[in-house]
Amino acid sequence: MHIMEGFLPWQWCIVWWLIALPCLAFGVWRLKKVIDADREALPLLGVTGGFIFILSSLKLPSVTGSCSHPTGTGLSAICFGPWITSVICAIVLLFQSLFLAHGGLSVLGANIVSMGIVGPVIGYAIYRLLKDTSVNIYLTVFLVTALADMFTYVTTSLELALAYPAEVGGVASSFILFMGIFAVTQVPLAIVEGIVLALVFKYIVALKPDILIRMKIFSEKQINDARGEA
Amino acid sequence: MAKNYFLEILAGVAILVFCGVFLYTSSTMTGAEFAGSDNVGSGMIAELSGKSVDSFTPLIPQWQPPSGEIEACLFALQAALGGIFVGGVFGYWIGQKKSMSETTTNQ
Repeated sequence: MHIMEGFLPWQWCIVWWLIALPCLAFGVWRLKKVIDADREALPLLGVTGGFIFILSSLKLPSVTGSCSHPTGTGLSAICFGPWITSVICAIVLLFQSLFLAHGGLSVLGANIVSMGIVGPVIGYAIYRLLKDTSVNIYLTVFLVTALADMFTYVTTSLELALAYPAEVGGVASSFILFMGIFAVTQVPLAIVEGIVLALVFKYIVALKPDILIRMKIFSEKQINDARGEA
Repeated sequence: MAKNYFLEILAGVAILVFCGVFLYTSSTMTGAEFAGSDNVGSGMIAELSGKSVDSFTPLIPQWQPPSGEIEACLFALQAALGGIFVGGVFGYWIGQKKSMSETTTNQ
């Protein structure tokens, strides 16, 4: 989903930076609050952040004959909400733009908006919607992760379409073109990522159920049900 | 028993299907490249704006990995960094759980 350095006109770089910065500031403030409230949240933050590091470094071939990165942001969005996730994503994207020439400093804002803000916000909305229903928690994790991943790429397509409207059909038709490149490639990856992170969540539930209950990520009953059945 | 490992089995099957479909499509589709959607996207931008890909220069000067191998190495390093955290924390939790169950049995 990385937009390469130099591929966005500077006006758009500024627009996306202006959207990203307040979210990051809020994320840092939230992060401090969460950690002050419960030091035991720190290892959980390490695990969810670690998975963003691992998954976003994997360049996986996809069925369209092209390859793409998973994002891994869903797990962190569930546990810590989208704003803290955007801070972790900013760190990962900074690493990639400095050392890997993947993305860049001017387009970092746009990449943070797609991977760190829109994707996790959509994922978090789905989580809140399904949280108190009878939907199995692993299914919730799967849906959140897969859709957070998908919407990251939808946002990238939109960012590029806004900067490069097609001569015929304008923004809408170039949006469809970019969606064809990014989002279609991403569908199978999003599904696999969803399943893998649901599996990871199963291990977190098995090892550290108390932190999930204490942070009110899922209710005690849901966690106990999940432990009983899986 | 099978029910206990449902997610593990599902993940294994999903990855196998994914690899199978990928191998099939990449062997039947000619001209398919192992380039990445980022690169294909860059080509599309060039097409839409009527400029060549090379005419896009970084707005902010950027360090480029000197070769593909070094880039791959740095990518692996990034994954390793994440792996250290995940493995470390899971190990910490397992240890914590063990010492907790030991203290309860000793009492």
